[in-house]
Amino acid sequence: MTVYESDLPGVGKKFEIELGDDERLVVVIHNTGKREVFRRTGDEDSVKLFELTDQLSRQVGSILEGAYFQPVTTQETETMLDENTLLEWVKVVDGSDVAGRTLEDVDFRNRTGATVVAIQREDEETESNPGPETRIRAGDTLIVLGARDACQTVESMVSATDEADLETLEERDPDSRDDA
Amino acid sequence: MAALLLEAGAMFAVIALAASVAQRVGQSVIPFYVVAGMLVSPAVAGRFDLPALQNQEFIELLAELGIVFLLFFLGLEFSLDRLLESSGEIGKAGTLDLLINFPVGVVVGLALGWSVLEAFVLAGIVYISSSAVITKSLIDLGWIANDEAQPMLGTLVYEDLFIAFYLAVLSAVLIDSGDFVDILLDVAVAMGFLLVLVAAVYLGTEYFEAYLDVDTEELFVIRAVAVTVLVAGVALAIGVSEAVAAFFIGMGFSSTDHLHDLERRLIPLRDVFAAVFFFWIGLNTDPAVFGDLAVVAVLAALVVVTTPTKVVSGFFGGRIYGLDDRRNLRVGLGMVTRGEFSLIISSLAAGAEGSVVLSETIPAVAVGYVLVMSILGTVLMQYAGSFERFVVDREPSEPTAD
Repeated sequence: MTVYESDLPGVGKKFEIELGDDERLVVVIHNTGKREVFRRTGDEDSVKLFELTDQLSRQVGSILEGAYFQPVTTQETETMLDENTLLEWVKVVDGSDVAGRTLEDVDFRNRTGATVVAIQREDEETESNPGPETRIRAGDTLIVLGARDACQTVESMVSATDEADLETLEERDPDSRDDA
Repeated sequence: MAALLLEAGAMFAVIALAASVAQRVGQSVIPFYVVAGMLVSPAVAGRFDLPALQNQEFIELLAELGIVFLLFFLGLEFSLDRLLESSGEIGKAGTLDLLINFPVGVVVGLALGWSVLEAFVLAGIVYISSSAVITKSLIDLGWIANDEAQPMLGTLVYEDLFIAFYLAVLSAVLIDSGDFVDILLDVAVAMGFLLVLVAAVYLGTEYFEAYLDVDTEELFVIRAVAVTVLVAGVALAIGVSEAVAAFFIGMGFSSTDHLHDLERRLIPLRDVFAAVFFFWIGLNTDPAVFGDLAVVAVLAALVVVTTPTKVVSGFFGGRIYGLDDRRNLRVGLGMVTRGEFSLIISSLAAGAEGSVVLSETIPAVAVGYVLVMSILGTVLMQYAGSFERFVVDREPSEPTAD
């Protein structure tokens, strides 16, 4: 990454950061402390994205830097038990095809090879080891244990929002089960 | 006392109103301050039996502080090291700008039958673009993040540095209307004083640093104001331009760690006093002079001649920086605005009272010129897109030739 720095007499300093694809991020730091951020493509005029006060830009800067929060993707959404076995969190959104159905009805285990080992309920305690009669609700987070492929199939089923999607998934199911 | 405070209050109210109007119509504040000053002057408001603001001494003092702070801030932007670093392109583009625009002023002055000194004053007025207005427009239009900002700001830096020395020479020449030897002596004294200041700037960074190394914000501001105003006052007392002295004090602080704090804490002071300066210019201008055909003719000639010269010098200045022609045109259009320094030069000439041309014609012409050029320049920048088509439309034929 190349950063170009230049003086703007009477105004402050300008920094240009190459973003690739002939795009540059242009940051103008005024002597007054104001920051202006622009994006420029090739020889086009710079397009102003936003401006921040001195204090606000320091805060935003440290957020970007990761000082407040470091994203660690694998721990956040999934846990590797071994090379191919995962524990994954799958959110049930409003309108999901599995919402309102029982675990027995959806039958993840036979269809995908993955097991729902717990359900995090909104505003309620987590239900560990849910029975076949447990009904899935929108807003639930399913904790799924299984092979990587199986977990992905569960994710697709849960995020499917009309019956047709579920049908096509069902057709693919035997393969998943064989893998597992 | 009550009358004085009332006058001061009325003055600031008028200035605030002018600034609001300028903001509303999206124009630079400088012409509006000047016009506001004219409107409430005895020459206009007084003529209609309305309460007029007299040109009190306190207004003149605040205006004088305005000049001092304007130049002090200019000096703050000049770190000698930084300047030397980027001197190559700035030097070329700036010299081109000087060689085209300064002689034009001299030629027009001589053609009007004025003396060499009068033509020299006129040349300064038409040469110097307005850093304040142009920089503000650059930020407002978002050009500041584009490539055209570099040649424009660079050329402004060159002009400002030139004008600092120009003012030093001019004030020495103007203040003494005696014989040639006296003038030489004054120029020598002025240059000697400036040399001392430059040496102090160059060698005394640590003293500048220590001087403002204080605990409280209050003491910091007061110390900064004290040294700036005192040195400016001493300069004026021995016949050297107070503006140039303030410029060098600013320069002395530019390489210290206090640069940022100075800019942040003194900007409000500069803005207040500079506004009074522009207002004061208007207060001293009787708009009736624009009914004088001679003044109007000179004014029209200057606008017609010096607008294209700035566009041309800016255009080729942009080429020195290696920009494309669309941006070069923007540089040219952007440099048209004249403002604060033209007024400072003319107020210097008016104060000298050497001849009728210096004390009456040139100040009147300068005020009209700045009014026209600051508005014209801002408008040219706003509508640069319409002019760019003249350059860009021809370009499709060029790439095939390439």
